[in-house]
Amino acid sequence: MYSGEDYGSADYYDDYGHTGDPQLDMEYERNYYATRMPDNVKFFLQNFCQAIKEGVLFDIQNMYENTFPQISDHHFDKSAWPDEQEVAAIVDNDKVFLILYKELYYRHIHARIPGGPKLDQRINSFFNYCDFFNLIISSQNPVSLELPDIWLWELVDEFVYQFQNFAQYRARLTDKTQEEIQQLCVNHSNVWSILCILNVLHSLVDISNIKKQLEAISQGNDPQTVAGEFGELSFYKMLGYFSLVGLLRVHSLLGDYYQAIKVLEPIEIHKKSQYSHIPACQISTSYYVGFAYMMMRRYADAIRTFSEILLYIQRTKQLYSTRSYQNDQINKQAEQMYHLLAICLVLHPQCIDESIQQVLREKNYHDAMFKMQCGDLEVFKSFFIFACPRFVTPCPPAADAPMEDYVKDPMEHQLMVFMDEVRQQKDLPTTRSYLKLYTTLPLAKLASFIDPNASEDDVSKLLIRLLCFKHKMRNLVWTKGSSGLEGSFKSGSELDFYIDDDMIHIADTKISHRYGDFFVRKIMKFNDLNRKLKNIHI
Amino acid sequence: MSHMVKMENGQSQTIQEMLGCIERYNPDHLKTLEAYVEDQAKNNTYDLEANLAVLKLYQFNPHMLNFDITYTILLKCLTNLPHTDFVMAKCLLLPQQMKDGTVQTIIDLADILERTDFTLFWQRAEVNRSIFRHISGFHDSIRKFVCHVVGITFQTIRKDLLKELLGGIEDSTLDQWIKKYGWKHQGNLIVIAVQDEKIKTKNITEKIEFDNLGGLMAQCL
Repeated sequence: MYSGEDYGSADYYDDYGHTGDPQLDMEYERNYYATRMPDNVKFFLQNFCQAIKEGVLFDIQNMYENTFPQISDHHFDKSAWPDEQEVAAIVDNDKVFLILYKELYYRHIHARIPGGPKLDQRINSFFNYCDFFNLIISSQNPVSLELPDIWLWELVDEFVYQFQNFAQYRARLTDKTQEEIQQLCVNHSNVWSILCILNVLHSLVDISNIKKQLEAISQGNDPQTVAGEFGELSFYKMLGYFSLVGLLRVHSLLGDYYQAIKVLEPIEIHKKSQYSHIPACQISTSYYVGFAYMMMRRYADAIRTFSEILLYIQRTKQLYSTRSYQNDQINKQAEQMYHLLAICLVLHPQCIDESIQQVLREKNYHDAMFKMQCGDLEVFKSFFIFACPRFVTPCPPAADAPMEDYVKDPMEHQLMVFMDEVRQQKDLPTTRSYLKLYTTLPLAKLASFIDPNASEDDVSKLLIRLLCFKHKMRNLVWTKGSSGLEGSFKSGSELDFYIDDDMIHIADTKISHRYGDFFVRKIMKFNDLNRKLKNIHI
Repeated sequence: MSHMVKMENGQSQTIQEMLGCIERYNPDHLKTLEAYVEDQAKNNTYDLEANLAVLKLYQFNPHMLNFDITYTILLKCLTNLPHTDFVMAKCLLLPQQMKDGTVQTIIDLADILERTDFTLFWQRAEVNRSIFRHISGFHDSIRKFVCHVVGITFQTIRKDLLKELLGGIEDSTLDQWIKKYGWKHQGNLIVIAVQDEKIKTKNITEKIEFDNLGGLMAQCL
């Protein structure tokens, strides 16, 4: 048997390397990497630095998208990348590279380290973002830096994510010592503050003239004429564009749905553009836009937004099949959108694309939808909680607030507003199911269906219900123009009616069977078979 | 009346300009914005974006919270029904605002209106008269909403029912509303609109465009 001392001595490890005990091996590797950077990591970082310095976009993108995650998996699965000093030494203290490296370093800590980042890591990450934005915004002339669009998108998205994560961390007072709270609320009250976040995003929007550029494009003009010195560079232009989406997300997290949609005004959400080539950005935009529409009771707009993007995801499914952090996000967001779509379809039944309908069927959303139609509020609640963004409060808890966990408060508030709306509409599906059976129906007869002992009084109650039906089913629907807030009142739902004195006249939507898709599929199959047969040579 | 906002550099901006940039989060402008809210109540005008900006400033600076302004903003939202302004404002309220009795009363009134229980609304409005005494044209704004709902629901409606929905108004007042919306008397009924033109059964049949099939047909050649 070995004595305890032998195990602890560093010499032992250096001489013998692996012990065969996985626990010890892990510890060994950790010690090993703490002192010496593996050669391939060193080599990678030097190449990476070089590629960024020379602006070789293809190489940068490859290293960012492939090599970095590979090395992360292999060497730093649940641990941090080498820290700044170590890296500085091997890249000649390249300031710009170090800022970019640290962005990835902290992002990795946020994603991979069990238990999440520590307070000082969160703070340092914030200051690193400040360094980056100061570097590119405060300089007299545009900095000559080129990064792949995917990195720029993930950088802005991560910046907002870390703000959100910090706001939640700050709201949880129960797992912190008095000292930590002091640190958080007094010494570092400006770290990750909402004003900082908004300031950065607005500055990026302004400096890139992205709004003017988008307006120019929608009017058919050349955006370069209004882009300005900064905005004509792809680097600034894309950062500006992604910042608009960042603002959409920040406002949504605060429950400000009006501003959320308003900031996107120059973007025509439902049109493909030269900016829509980053799938994650597209998907995230649609998720927040659709959610905001749902909260504003613009169900037809929400349904359109969700169906369009879910179709897009369906078509490009194979892109997200490999397991990576980003793809997990995308798949999660898609599932959330199916949940939201299900809610919207219960509240506002209407025709949607057959292939989306099929997914709802296959993934068994119909059971839950049926329960919601029957007025099961718990199902509404659980769907909402699963699918909503993780809301935050913009301010830290008050200095004299009891030591509690405030993380859930903002979500509870949005849930309450939403459930109030659902409760107001609770009776509508039952009413709809009766109306569906008739083309004309006297008020008194409908009242007696709902309650067999209906009196005169119940007829006036029924009238209230019917008025409510008409009011809630008639919503603003976007028709044209780039502002997502605009629209005209429409009754887009599949069933409608009017009352003539005491008679209800009902108009339903009848959908005749669709054969096109069926035949197209069969023809293609037949073609395929034919081709195969022709290729058989006996 | 136009409101100007003094900037740090001594220049002035209109409220609309200020709301379009980062200045909208500057708490120094809160006083100007609050005065603007009060103006809207007095002059029966309305600016949702500015009002939501006020609520957002409260959200960012809870120590500057003003309850009277909160009430006015929420009540002004009600005057813009059937738009969902009230819901958007409600989403921005702080826990302290939600706990306030008057805010709760206004939320209850909003709930009654959203459920279109107009008879109950007028009863409650009578009890809580003092809350919206300072909002000029409040009752008529709600009547406008009632007329909207009636307008999309009825082809003809009994006169006494319409009077009840509008808050038990006099015949002469009713005639003004009828005139305003171009409705017509017909015995004890009011003819609202010919709805059967607009609300009819839709048949969705499959339309297959040639373009969608062109490729496939070419393949089969």
